[in-house]
Amino acid sequence: MKNRLRVLRAEREWSQADLAERLEVSRQSVNAIETGKFDPSLPLAFKLARLFETTIEGIFTDESQG
Amino acid sequence: MEREINDSALSRYKKRMFVLVVVLALVSQLDFWEFIRHHPTGALAYLLAALPALPFIGIMATYGLYVAELRDELVRTVAKTSLLWSIVATLSVTTLWGFLEMLANAPHLQPLLVLPIFGIFLGIATALVNRRYE
Repeated sequence: MKNRLRVLRAEREWSQADLAERLEVSRQSVNAIETGKFDPSLPLAFKLARLFETTIEGIFTDESQG
Repeated sequence: MEREINDSALSRYKKRMFVLVVVLALVSQLDFWEFIRHHPTGALAYLLAALPALPFIGIMATYGLYVAELRDELVRTVAKTSLLWSIVATLSVTTLWGFLEMLANAPHLQPLLVLPIFGIFLGIATALVNRRYE
């Protein structure tokens, strides 16, 4: 699943470690989500949306929806 | 912070494993001593022979608890996926070996070796699955 995590993180000048700390997950998780290798659970997706003050759709793009 | 996320689960896992290994060592020693000295038979022999298996079952349950207590969902996913792959690999190898024993007179594989074989596959699977997310 494509996402804008890297952009949103860069806008706030947060490192992957900073974001991981805010989300209470490992940096490996943030990296895997950012690179599209791992899709987060719905609770974590909501947590991301709250953190970046946007919606889940504002962060993630469903690639099957052309 | 990153280490703290899963360290509490790992710490509990290590403590439980330590207790179980100590129990396993004690039970095995007492059990073997009982068999050598008193040569139990019948139901008592079955009961005593089954005792050392209990800590092993506990070790497997402890690993399951560890996976359930992991807070980081990526690490938990890696653990669950690795478990599935290692179960598939162990069942495949033991099934294959069963046919080799039955039809080609291959040496007998002790059922007690299945757990260490599973442990080896779990280690390999964890390393491979982890690489997928690096």
